Parts: sequence; C-alpha cells; structure tokens
Amino acid sequence: MSSKGKYLTGCAALALAAMMISPASAVDPSRLLSADQNANDWLTNHGSYKSYHYSPADQINAGNVKNLEVAWTHFPERATRGIQSTPLAADGVLYYSGSYSRVYALDGATGKLIWTYAPALDEELVAKQTHSPYNRGLALANGNLYVGTVDGRLIALDMKTGKVVFDTRLVDSKKLTVGFTGAPLAVKDTVIIGSQGGEWPWRGPIFGVDGKTGQKKWEFFTVAGTDEAKATWGGESWRTGGGGGWMAGAYDPETNTVWWGTGNPAPLYDWAGADWQKSGPRPGTNLYTTSVIGLDPDTGKLKFYHQELPHDAWDFDSAVGEFLSIDRGGQKLMVHPNKGGFIFVYDRANAKLQNVWQLVKNVNFVKGIDPKTGDLIGRRDLALGKADSPLCPAIAGGISWNSGAYSPKTGLYYKIAQEWCMDITVVRTTPILEPMAQLNIGADFKLVAPPDGPARGHLDARDPVSGEKKWEINYKEPPLASILATGGNLLFVPDSEGVVHAYNAETGQELWSHSNGMGHNAGIISYMAGGKQYIAVPAGWGSLVSDEFAALWGEPFKSMAKNTGALFVYSLKQ
Amino acid sequence: MRISLPRSGAVFTTLTLALVLPTACALAQQSPGAATKAEARPAEASPNDIDGATLFASVCGFCHQNGGRAEGRGPKLAGTTRSDDFILDRIRNGKPGSMPAFGGAFSEGQIVAILAYIRTLEDDGN
Repeated sequence: MSSKGKYLTGCAALALAAMMISPASAVDPSRLLSADQNANDWLTNHGSYKSYHYSPADQINAGNVKNLEVAWTHFPERATRGIQSTPLAADGVLYYSGSYSRVYALDGATGKLIWTYAPALDEELVAKQTHSPYNRGLALANGNLYVGTVDGRLIALDMKTGKVVFDTRLVDSKKLTVGFTGAPLAVKDTVIIGSQGGEWPWRGPIFGVDGKTGQKKWEFFTVAGTDEAKATWGGESWRTGGGGGWMAGAYDPETNTVWWGTGNPAPLYDWAGADWQKSGPRPGTNLYTTSVIGLDPDTGKLKFYHQELPHDAWDFDSAVGEFLSIDRGGQKLMVHPNKGGFIFVYDRANAKLQNVWQLVKNVNFVKGIDPKTGDLIGRRDLALGKADSPLCPAIAGGISWNSGAYSPKTGLYYKIAQEWCMDITVVRTTPILEPMAQLNIGADFKLVAPPDGPARGHLDARDPVSGEKKWEINYKEPPLASILATGGNLLFVPDSEGVVHAYNAETGQELWSHSNGMGHNAGIISYMAGGKQYIAVPAGWGSLVSDEFAALWGEPFKSMAKNTGALFVYSLKQ
Repeated sequence: MRISLPRSGAVFTTLTLALVLPTACALAQQSPGAATKAEARPAEASPNDIDGATLFASVCGFCHQNGGRAEGRGPKLAGTTRSDDFILDRIRNGKPGSMPAFGGAFSEGQIVAILAYIRTLEDDGN
C-alpha cells in the first residue's frame, strides 16, 4: 500500500473511530427528528417520533435470520416484576432501565458495563404502591438520559457518566401514592412525562420540564384541565377523576404538537348505568380522560383533542402511547390504538376523525363505533350489581400498553390483540384520599374465556388506515411485549412463554425462534455497534396484565419467577 | 344496596367485626412490627371502617378477583386456611413485588373489616 493509501486508510479509521465514540452531546434534539431514517440507533421509546417501532437496518434479514444467536446478556439488580422497559441505543452504547428506575449503560457490541445508576427511592412508599416498582423506559436528548420514578421524580443523567444532572420532584407521591412508570419524551429543549392515573383518585397531570435545568415549565391536568373540561364532571367529581398519561406519546414536528393518550376516569366502573350523564360517581363525559390530546410542547396548551370513549365506564383508556404518523394519498394521518380493541385514525393537523376499525374480535362494551363521527353505537352501561353476561374485552383490555410496529417497506401495521372477557359485579364505592390515595375500582370481576373460543392472543398484519387484514398468527396466550419491524423484512415478536419469534414481515412465515426461558413484557429494539446489527430485548415476567396468566393458563405462568430478568442481545453468527 | 354478595353482607360484616376485632387487636399487639403500626395509627371505628366489602371492591378486588372468591392476579381468599394473624399481617405489611402494604393507608378498623369480609366468603370451588 502506498503512503497515500495508508494515510487515507488511517483517516478513514479515525473517522470511523470518531463515529463510534461520538460524544454524548451529539444526541441533540434535532437528531431525534430524523430518528426514523437512522439504522444505527434507537433514540426514543417508540424508535422515533413516528412511533413505528421500526429500524431500517437490514444486515439481519429474512435470508439470514436463521443464523441469529445470543451475542451477550446483562442481568439487572432487583428486577421486581421483571423488566418492562424498551432500551435505547446511541452511537454504539445501549441504555436500559429496570425496576426501581435503575439505569444501565452498556457497550453495545460486547455488553461491557459502562455505568449503572440506582436512585435512592422512598422504599416505604414503594412498598405501599400497586403499580410499582417497574419502569418502562427512558428519553434521550441534550446529552442526557431522562427517567421517571415511582416516587414522583424526573431525573436527568449525563449520558457519558451516569452522574445526576438534575432530580426534580413533580408529584406528591406520598399523598397520591402514584408517580411515574412510563418513559419521558424529549421534544426540543423540553422533556415531557405523564403521571400514573386511571383508577387513582386524582387529576393525572402531564408535565413539561426544561431538559437542561430540570425546572418545571408547565403542567396539564388530564382531568378538568380547562373550564370546558371541568364542566363535564358533575359536582366535585373532577377532584378525584383519575386520568393520567402513563405512557410516552409522540411528536409531530410539522405542527409542533405533542400527541398523548390519557388514562381512564375513576372509579373504573360506574353504577349509574344509562343515567351516567346525570347520576353516579362522575356524571358527564369526563374530559379529558380516555382521550387523545394535542399539546404545545413549549407551553403545555391544549391545541385539540378527541375523546375516544366519552364517559369511559369500562377501563378502556387511551393511554397506549403509540401514535403512528402515516402519510397516505396526500393525507397526513395519526393512527392510535385504544385499549377497548379499536384503532382510531385521525387527521394529524387537528385530531379530526378519519376512520375507526376494530382489531379485537370479542367486543361487547359497544356494538360498534361510527367510523366517521366516533359515536359509540349501542354502548353497554352497567348498572349496580351483577352483569347478566360477561363484559368483553376484560379489564386487561383488547389492546395493552405494549406497542405494535409499522413497516414502511410492507405498508403493514403489526398489532397484538387480546381475546378475553370477564364476569363483573358493579359495586358502589367512594374515593379514599386519606391518609393517602387508594385505588377506586368499583367492581368485583373475574376473567373468563370469550364467547368464540378460549382466551388467547393474536398478531394481525393490517393496513393501518383501513384495517384490511393481510394475515394473522394466533397465540395460546397474548404476547405482552412491544414488537419490532426491520428493513430486513423481519418482524420480531417476544412472547409470553419466553420465546422470541422472527417472522417474514410480508407473509407471517416463522423464520427463527429462541427461548429466553422467561416471559417478555418489555420492548425489543435494533441498533448497530461497530458496523454490526444487534437485536436487544429484555426478558423478565411480572406486569399487572401478566399476573392474570396463571389463573387463565396455569403453567408455565403459575411458577414463572416475577422477580428476575435479563437483557438478551442477538447478532448473526460470525 | 351496599354490596352484592353476600346479600346480608353489611350486617354480617358488622357482626363478624365485633367478634374478630378483639382477637385481631390482641394478635396485633403480639407482633412487634404490627404493634408499631397499630400504635402509630390506633384502631378507629367509623361507619366507613366497617364496610369491608366496599373497601374490598374499591381496592383489593383489583387483584383478588370476583370479590376474593377466585384466583386472579392475587390468590383466591374464599375458604383460606390462613390464620387471622397471618391475614392481618399480610394486609398491613404486604408482600414485596406482589402485594402493597396497607398498614399506613388503612386504619386498624378498616384492616379488620377487610379480614371480616374475607371470612364471610364461601368457597364455591371456583
């Protein structure tokens, strides 16, 4: 080789090395805007602002996925209720969070530990919490990682060192009993995070925090957040209305709008029956619960909303954080799943409804939803006492909080559906606020099989706008992990028994599988390190939905450990 | 109507509470951990305290399904052979990773009312 050649080779090596160890500050907010085109990294909880859970990477593809094997593993401490988070990856470093908001930074190629962060939490409070101590993910921007805590704080960590940049208390969790389990969302210089809510008697705010200083910029109450909304709650019921926004939403940079899904009102079930407009524990439509809302990320001001289920009386909230930005025929659309089993399609500019289609087969809380107006057709409002037939879906939903995936290559939306119902007896309750807030359920219930067969799950491949189905795969039990589509024409589905499946994204043909030995209720991602593609998925069982499995299906769930977990990372055999 | 099952549950719960409360308080005093909590938050009996069925449907039924009559997220409670002492301790202190501790959230009267409600549940084999 000539000296010139050696020089160029050296420069290329230096450039490559610089790319591989580029500074943490390189992950600035503008880099998040093009995350959907980035095969190297996984920069947001949903992969990008478009929520596709898709990586363009194609080194691992339908032709060679049979050669996928475990490259390395990592075991977190105190994996109480397993691992429920979706990792992030930037510049060859993988970050993920576990229970108690513990955060790990690992070399993406080798798994070598770079740093660990373990916040000191209010352990006495944690012991009193129901929806705890799991954490569902991180945000990345401004050279920082952001993580919420179940005791009501948002913490920023320096990406390089894991040192605390700020630690801001946002929620009085000692009084309200809840805090944060969902991932934050970074938008420009603001970090947005939604509190737990739903059956917890409060007003479930979403917060905007300065990403550099930790100062709270704004707070939007999902219950009675405006005068218009307050008028939709009878009496003083707005004070204990629930709501919340416990999963990270998405961002539309064209309109500078954050899209967020909100939780259900409290109590979950309502003894008013058909008279819910005038009587019962929360008379009225209960804005902005079970809604999608558009917020200005800079001010927290409400731009628009659509309430998917007015006066939700079934715990079928809109908190699923998945908002797919789909452009179709000149239209700019936003696709959002609702826990009740329906997929809503909106105009991205204003949340004006464009379509509603049904994913789940066993639905009887309504007879249908008008795809043009969104009106609930034949809604089933339960009265006090035992319902004459099971309610479908069950409390765990036709759709859970785990995200589906969309492949721009196939044009298909891949989404898990859950088929189950429940016997229910509605009970009159009152909110418990002292000395600290408690759940307000309002019913006794028991999960049962649906009318059309056994309780089960299925993965559908559909057109995201029309809902037209291309293929379907059935599972004995619903998979509870978020899934992944890739540019290699692959779809990865981590299932509940502990097996990761890789399918041909066009046809649904299974091409590879591997057992991790414990159920999955986290998120799976793709990233590159040192020029090589990796697939990473946390395993570890124990979400509140997975807690239902032992009674419905017995083993392996009866004896499956719920206080352990591991991160599994795969690559192609050398 | 206050509760759905048992149909005379409110009255039965009150009566059962009268029987169980002295025993439960005595048991609580035998346990150092429980005694500390009991001292910090002495048993109080208010009209709300004694409605164990409503408390159960508000909070406990989220996991102990069909009002505690069936296994769900949490174990079935109807027909349990666990002692009063065990159940009271479990309600107060929870089980890490599985069940929250209600010792600082519910009064001793409420905790005993929940125990009393559990004792009314008939095991129908579900």
